[in-house]
Amino acid sequence: MSSLKRSLDRDPFAANISSKVYVRSTKSGKVQKIVREVYLRQDIPCSSKLCRACLATAPQDAAGRPTPFVLSEDPAGTAVYPQGHYLVPDTNAFLTAMDLFEQSAAFYDVVVLQIVLEELRNRSLPLYNRLIGLTKSEDKRFYVFFNEFRLETHVARDEGESVNDRNDRAVRKAVAWYAQHLARTGAKKVPAVVMLSNDRDNLRKAKQEGIPACSLADYVKQLKDGDKLLDMIPETEDQDTAKEKRPGEPLYPEYFSMSKMMTGVKSGLLHQGIFNVSPYNYLEGSIRVPAFPKPLLVLGRENINRSIDGDLVVVEVLPKDQWKEPSTQVIEEDAITKNENPDAEETGDIVSEKERKALQEEVKRTHTKTTEGHAQPTAKVVGVVKRNWRQYVGHIDQSAISQSTQQGRKQEVVFVIPMDKKIPKIRLRTRQVAELVGKRILVTVDAWDRSSRHPTGHFVRSLGELETKAAETEALLLEYDVQYRPFPKTVLDCLPKEGHDWKVPQSMDDPGWKDREDLRGLLICSIDPIGCQDIDDALHSRPLPNGNIEVGVHIADVSHFVKPNNAMDAEASIRGTTVYLVDKRIDMLPMLLGTDLCSLKPYVERYAFSVLWELSPDADIVNVRFTKSVIKSREAFSYEEAQLRVDDAAQQDELTTSIRTLLALSRKLKQKRMDAGALSLSSPEVKVQMESETSDPIDVKTKEHLDTMSLVEEFMLLANVSVARKIHEAFPQTAILRRHGAPPKTNFDELANQLRVKRGLDLNVESSRALADSLDACVNPSEPFFNTLVRIMATRCMMAAEYFCSGTQAYPEFRHYGLASEIYTHFTSPIRRYADLAAHRQLAAAIGYEAVHPSVRSRGRLEAVCKNINVRHRNAQLAGRASIAYYVGQALRGKATEEDGFVLKIFSNGFVVLVPRFGVEGLIRLRDLAEPEPAAEFDAETYTLRTSGSREVEVELFQKVRVRVTDQKDETTGKRGVKMELVSVY
Amino acid sequence: MSSTNHVLLSPAELAYLHASLSLTPPIRPDGRAPTQFRPLVAETGILPGTNGSARICFADGTEAIVGVKAEVERTVVGPEGEGVIVEGGEGEVEEGGGEGEAGWVEMTVEIPGVRDDDSGTAFLAAMLSEGLLADEGFVRRLWINRRFHWKLYLDIILISPPLSYPLPLLSLTTHLALLSTRLPRLKSEGDEDPFFDDDWAAAPYLFPRPNGKSTTFVSQTRPPITLLVMAVGNNIIFDPSKEELAVADVALAVSVTAGSSSSQAPSKHVPMDTSTEGRNLRLLSIRTIDPPSRLTPPGVANAANSAYGANAGQKTTHEAQATAEGEAVEGVWRAPRGGAKRMVLGALVQKVLERGGVVDEVLDALEGVDLG
Repeated sequence: MSSLKRSLDRDPFAANISSKVYVRSTKSGKVQKIVREVYLRQDIPCSSKLCRACLATAPQDAAGRPTPFVLSEDPAGTAVYPQGHYLVPDTNAFLTAMDLFEQSAAFYDVVVLQIVLEELRNRSLPLYNRLIGLTKSEDKRFYVFFNEFRLETHVARDEGESVNDRNDRAVRKAVAWYAQHLARTGAKKVPAVVMLSNDRDNLRKAKQEGIPACSLADYVKQLKDGDKLLDMIPETEDQDTAKEKRPGEPLYPEYFSMSKMMTGVKSGLLHQGIFNVSPYNYLEGSIRVPAFPKPLLVLGRENINRSIDGDLVVVEVLPKDQWKEPSTQVIEEDAITKNENPDAEETGDIVSEKERKALQEEVKRTHTKTTEGHAQPTAKVVGVVKRNWRQYVGHIDQSAISQSTQQGRKQEVVFVIPMDKKIPKIRLRTRQVAELVGKRILVTVDAWDRSSRHPTGHFVRSLGELETKAAETEALLLEYDVQYRPFPKTVLDCLPKEGHDWKVPQSMDDPGWKDREDLRGLLICSIDPIGCQDIDDALHSRPLPNGNIEVGVHIADVSHFVKPNNAMDAEASIRGTTVYLVDKRIDMLPMLLGTDLCSLKPYVERYAFSVLWELSPDADIVNVRFTKSVIKSREAFSYEEAQLRVDDAAQQDELTTSIRTLLALSRKLKQKRMDAGALSLSSPEVKVQMESETSDPIDVKTKEHLDTMSLVEEFMLLANVSVARKIHEAFPQTAILRRHGAPPKTNFDELANQLRVKRGLDLNVESSRALADSLDACVNPSEPFFNTLVRIMATRCMMAAEYFCSGTQAYPEFRHYGLASEIYTHFTSPIRRYADLAAHRQLAAAIGYEAVHPSVRSRGRLEAVCKNINVRHRNAQLAGRASIAYYVGQALRGKATEEDGFVLKIFSNGFVVLVPRFGVEGLIRLRDLAEPEPAAEFDAETYTLRTSGSREVEVELFQKVRVRVTDQKDETTGKRGVKMELVSVY
Repeated sequence: MSSTNHVLLSPAELAYLHASLSLTPPIRPDGRAPTQFRPLVAETGILPGTNGSARICFADGTEAIVGVKAEVERTVVGPEGEGVIVEGGEGEVEEGGGEGEAGWVEMTVEIPGVRDDDSGTAFLAAMLSEGLLADEGFVRRLWINRRFHWKLYLDIILISPPLSYPLPLLSLTTHLALLSTRLPRLKSEGDEDPFFDDDWAAAPYLFPRPNGKSTTFVSQTRPPITLLVMAVGNNIIFDPSKEELAVADVALAVSVTAGSSSSQAPSKHVPMDTSTEGRNLRLLSIRTIDPPSRLTPPGVANAANSAYGANAGQKTTHEAQATAEGEAVEGVWRAPRGGAKRMVLGALVQKVLERGGVVDEVLDALEGVDLG
């Protein structure tokens, strides 16, 4: 009987076949043995421009041209490898020091082995994506070599060999092969092929085998300017020595094993959720878990157990006797841990003396409370499912640097204080303290050991001096993950070739005119803020013979220029939205489209997507239709201009009358919306006025509200609702819509209680209508701002509106709570929002203008798009606000003004004041009131803080106060912000 | 397939065969000793996608392949705690109900040319899985934790035409496949949802083997095997060929396992240690198989055959019939009737469980197969 197995000896091709066996565990709990056959080949090129042999067999494109080789024929040399060198890093090199590879100073001509890439993907997806980004960049010359499929470099696993050892061996073999292969090219200067690794064992074996190899640190030292780069190598180089160094007790409890956590979560004993840190108290976090309606509290360092804001963690509910109330104290990390020495390693106690004191007071307060049942369930973190660490912007804590080492190149440990107060201090080892002090720097968190009180990280790059506009703006963009790099060439290639000369074709036979209506004859105008360049909407109205009115909303036809699935579309879908900062705009689409070709500029013909209604004089929709069109805007008004024109009775031209008609209709529309229960919410909005030349901020103004603004707003809402209905009808499963969930009643508990106690007002949150009515009732005749204040606070209790794909929700869930609309989408700003662009495509398909593109139909893809744009949208808002806050601080610089403010929130050791004039909030602590800090009595029942001793005041919620607003540079965060001092209480 | 078809021997041939097998020592048609097995060729690991697989080819041309696949399954705990598993000292379990565990092994047998719901096939599968399940040590190995267990799917395929009753072939192949079976290494602890090492090379064998192969196997447990044994008269014959089976007085399927020691054997199984060498064999189950001989046509004695002038002897037909169905006539084939004799059964079992006997020999032989 002959064997049925593939006999390796007799088969002439046996050497070309290998197999890979592993166990795969699926999500559903299945465990499978997977056998993959690997077909080895010899035509995988080395991609060195020195090599002729590989060129012959290199894969070719459709035109028969071989793909261009990546690695330079004349790579840079170092002190040790003067002949030039190619780098072959192993997995841990990428894992620990990806930032190094992204440097522009060095690290060119890198061979990324397939095995390394695969391992990296398993270990860290974000790092993998960054590496893929590097391999795509042309100037870095990173080449992915498929070593596992090349006959010469394939390594079969030996018996008893661990996977890691096998992979290391594969790396070494690939390095050896590259060296041999290059030697055969007969080039004059054969570059060295150097393995980069931080694994001691791997380095030792390489040495034995005679393969050139370096540790990261050794390699960087060979480079010019190596010292600077050294900081980017994280310090977790030697696990062994680290252990010897700190034999002390671990400070934090150990995490559960993954399987234990998963079992617990499945059985409902543990809970999984995103960890959020309270913005006022860094020792208090909360986790919203699906099992409970209210978030669970996580209090104290030990319970937080090394989680950082945004991490996906698993928590265990603590026994009832450990339940607590959320803190009424403001606890800032910097204030409490101010004098910690980053060098002195922790002495075995995570909770420092001061922290403990803060906690005692907390307990005292909880115990003196008479009312029971206020305590909220608390929990402790037992494990982290997924870290959500990103790069953080911060600056070095100057107070913790020893004076003697301010100069010199000695490596030193310092604390970096992140800009985001929710992020704990990061320990950083650097040699360039002197240079980095006073700079905005970007750092990465590497690890957080059980034995270390703070996470450790490494330096990535410096953004520039603190408080310079460039550094602060970049810091802001980085913090909110805004993609601000210039558009790559591949994106710009998608633009029309004519550039700014592009025009709507003259001839109506041009394919661009196909199915387009000629609306050039209509009196269309646009109304936007002053200086708006990306005009994406325009309006018109005209009376119809039957007494009804035709109203048209014309939206820039962006989908004509941005075709699905090309590079520009991909980039736009990643950016998601245009981000508006005070002095800067980060576009979603290249300038050419956004401010010219798509923008509905006046006096020129533009493609548009029009929504045309026939409205009755009472603003009821008689019918609606959608069409692609060509329009010619007669005028681009600013809100103010339009308002002046409307108010000026002397203006009786056709355009002005039509605006008046629109205005009258918009009022009716608004009334209808309000009757349906739409909320009029509020957030403090201000505008920073800049000096035109230097764009230095000179003044801050609150935004005025003009009728013309609500004119535009109403018709945009109307268009969005009409479009939403249409696309949902056409694509019931895949329409891209926007919903605003009804907020859970518990969100309003606090506010309702505050209003009841302080003002005797009742907040009815049964429905949006009821809420709108009770918000209307919240008036204080003597204080007109009170109503706005309540609206601002109510807004903060709301859910965030979100984009979604219609198939993921039931129809009743489509409701937009704030607008009181059954269905809603975004259609009117395709230049600056990707959702609108997607809606355009769907609408175009729905009216039969173009075929349904697969990307418009694929639910999975649309869901991913929605998820991304929801995040981007939110970040853009936050970035915008942060930018305003920064400039408000700058505008106030050196000035001191007294303003009226309102108490928004009250703690036992301070209170938050909102100053509507500047739209800023400021915290006034007890110790800011007077020196020495006055004693205070805090009554949580009536939200009153009564101080005695050095200064006697009584502050309560909603109270109007007089504060002195000055600017102040916060030493700890390095942010210039407003500082408020209490002048008097009204 | 049934044990009863395909007998194409004349009564005279049957009578001859029966006679020669009844001699002491018996003379088998292929010249084997009574306890001798037919030569076989075996290999393992022929199906890369399975957890374990084996193939055995007998010299008569019959050939079988067995593949073992394992899947994680949630253990259903009965309402009254029936079937609840209690953790023992060695991390092993005591079985409670037992019914739950029969479901942990699913076996399908496929014989070419026979429907899969054929009674013979079903009987074969039942016999093979019965042997496995009777060995509680085997089922214990499938335990992961209180909440989960492995479910084994054994797919047994006869790839040659069924030239002889395939029970021994299938059993030996199954045994070998189980020997080569590996299960992914468990990484989680306690009653957590199981979580496994993704490294196949780290996967342990279902039946762990000692480091040095060969002789140290004595203390180690093995999957059970089911042997086909038959008796003709007082002679006990192992591994009967198709023709031999056709004249068997009794045919038994005997499942045995090589238990590690008698201490492990619960009291309901009588330890059958008869000698100090070889393995501790434990009897798991016995099934009598309806031998094909029962359905063979009887021979007719000359005396009763009219062609030989039976009628000339003036005997009445009534008498002639009495002779045909009554007492046996020397040299004339007559299908065996009645059950097996108790003495023979006893001897048969004794022979199987003999230390250093046939079973040891077979296990030794299978031990030698490389589990690549």
